Amino acid sequence: MLSTGPWQTGLIPGRVLFLPSVEALNLQDSDFGFRISHAAMPLLKAHQLLKRFGEICAVNLINFEVREGEIYGLLGPNGAGKTTTISMVCGLLKPDAGEVVVEGLNFWSDPQRARRIMGVVPQEVALYDELSGRENLEFWGRMAGLTAPTARDRAGELLESLSLADRAQDAVGTYSGGMKRRINLGCALLHRPRLLLLDEPTVGIDPQARLRILEFIRGLATDGTAILYTTHYLEEAETLCQRIGIIDHGQLLAEGTLSELQRRLGGSQLFVIDGELKDATPEEWLGFRDRFRVIQKSDHQLVASAGGECDPADCLKQLLALPVRVQNVTLKRPSLNDVFLQLTGRELRE
Amino acid sequence: MRAGMRILAGMKRALDIGHNDLRIFFRQRAWYVWLFIMPLAFTYFMGFAVQGPGSPGAPQLGLLIENEDPGFLGGILLQELGEQGLRLLGPTNRNEAKRGLKIPPDFTERVLKKEKTSVGFFTVSGSGDEAAALVEVRLVRALIALHGHLVEHALATAGQPPSEDALRDLMRRENPVVLDSKYAGRKPIPTGFNLSLPGNLVMYLMMNLLIFGGATVAAERRSGVLRRLAVHPVSRAALVTGKIYGLMLLGCAQIALLLAVGRVLLGVDMSGRWFSILVTLLVYAWVAASLGVLIGSVVTAEEKIIGLCLLLSLPMAALGGCWWPLEIVPVPLQIVAHLIPTGWAMDALHQLISFGGGFAQAKEEIGVLLLFGAAANFAAAKCFRC
Repeated sequence: MLSTGPWQTGLIPGRVLFLPSVEALNLQDSDFGFRISHAAMPLLKAHQLLKRFGEICAVNLINFEVREGEIYGLLGPNGAGKTTTISMVCGLLKPDAGEVVVEGLNFWSDPQRARRIMGVVPQEVALYDELSGRENLEFWGRMAGLTAPTARDRAGELLESLSLADRAQDAVGTYSGGMKRRINLGCALLHRPRLLLLDEPTVGIDPQARLRILEFIRGLATDGTAILYTTHYLEEAETLCQRIGIIDHGQLLAEGTLSELQRRLGGSQLFVIDGELKDATPEEWLGFRDRFRVIQKSDHQLVASAGGECDPADCLKQLLALPVRVQNVTLKRPSLNDVFLQLTGRELRE
Repeated sequence: MRAGMRILAGMKRALDIGHNDLRIFFRQRAWYVWLFIMPLAFTYFMGFAVQGPGSPGAPQLGLLIENEDPGFLGGILLQELGEQGLRLLGPTNRNEAKRGLKIPPDFTERVLKKEKTSVGFFTVSGSGDEAAALVEVRLVRALIALHGHLVEHALATAGQPPSEDALRDLMRRENPVVLDSKYAGRKPIPTGFNLSLPGNLVMYLMMNLLIFGGATVAAERRSGVLRRLAVHPVSRAALVTGKIYGLMLLGCAQIALLLAVGRVLLGVDMSGRWFSILVTLLVYAWVAASLGVLIGSVVTAEEKIIGLCLLLSLPMAALGGCWWPLEIVPVPLQIVAHLIPTGWAMDALHQLISFGGGFAQAKEEIGVLLLFGAAANFAAAKCFRC
């Protein structure tokens, strides 16, 4: 299923290193075990959403859609506007302009109807520490409109699915971070929502717990749930989401599948050149502009994409012949971080 | 039809929220101290500190009786003394007596002959002077009553000597003129457990519901629980109602315990007025719960809420007459007491507990409390933030 040839090549003059890289995973729609039906009805549509807090424009005219069975990722650094966007989508905030359409109807024309369709997993662990996992699930189920017996039955099922049945009677305050996150997720699922909004649901937990949660979310999408997933983790967006919207400073800078976003860089190869580049002027280098596009340049590093179907060996040869002192050249497939770098001029991890 | 369904669904959610909040309150055992133990302890100790002769806990004053009169008038005098609230003691209970009364052997005989006679009032060795005046007053009242009956009989029979049956018959009749002279036309001043029970109920209800309400709302806002509730199909009205309802349930638990202990262990007489007392306390709990939610909505800093609630509830208790009767404070402070809900709640409870009034006597105070509740609830709903 997943590409078996993740590759990243580190080149030091005279030496070639092959490094495995998560960023280099080449995922396609079909890698998720199913192919998204792009004709599927958008369950959620955000249209020209705008939100200001005084002088600050937190979300600036954002548009996106989430279809049934699709995981749509909103990727951006902290403060990019992800939570504000999700808050508008779930009705916690009213947009200053634009509209949120849930299953064809404006959210605010019937908020209760929209809320019955959606489940929301907040970024914070919003649970009652004094209550057990089962009691929390049952309470949130009743808040979602379930009868007490139905909430009880579904809580039992979810505890099994989330591998928490053996701790069901313990107070949530005694749970580990990963267990709390799982219950936090489960509390949004009791009423089997068709649209799930997840606001950074894996923040602050260990990699193993994160993998379990991501696996569970994939299962929900397979069952047809439309999922809006915000994150600032590149790996999550790359491996989980079928379509990704890159957001920064309240603006949706780019949107598409992972491969569509990678193609924005103009090619399938990215060269990272380390060296003394303070006074370098790549635009004046002979033939450089014909083959490469500068993504980012600093005093010590130059990131360039190679256009067309050029042979990596030829490209490397050309780069090593540049009129600058090159200490290292790394060849890799473009990642979302590179896309973000190109779009914003800085790395997502900064 | 659809609107009705929505209202029903909203009510169901409000009940669920309230029941859940109550469950969480009871899981936090440390709060039991403030909910139950402190109010009971303060009721008990304050009840003793402010005890008066009319207090339920105060024993009847004892009078040692040495009745040497073989006739019936000695017995009739003793009956009058009993009706004046004195406990008549024999020689075996001598150490419980505050004073003594000696009825001479010729008491009946001399009275029937219309001759002057005297009863002896004496000090019992070992008893103090503090209660002597009260015993003396009651003795004088009993003698006046006996004289009254003798005069009434003489007028009715043209001076015939009275028989025992005739006199007892007169005693059973309702007096044509009654002077309610207990407090010389003023309201009695509530004392003892009659003061400490409603006082502590009113104070601790306000304090606990302010603190628990404010702290819970602020903590749930910090943890994101309120925002999570807001993204469910739960209307704002149902959310605020549920929060207030949960606090009222907590108040009910406190009310039930204190009233039960007050009646069973402390002897506070509330018979026949339970309904009015419960209505008063429920309305008051609504006021306090709404104020608690209001504070939690307005004050975001969780750590400041407890201090603020204490700053509000303790002065309200003092000014409202929870610690001492309002009758003993200057008039300006009595006016201030009626600007705050504690003053009205204490007025209503004193009407019902100390003065023996019914719902009609407390309805004005309950009405004012309802206005306080409506205003606080409206403000809480208006200011509530997730």
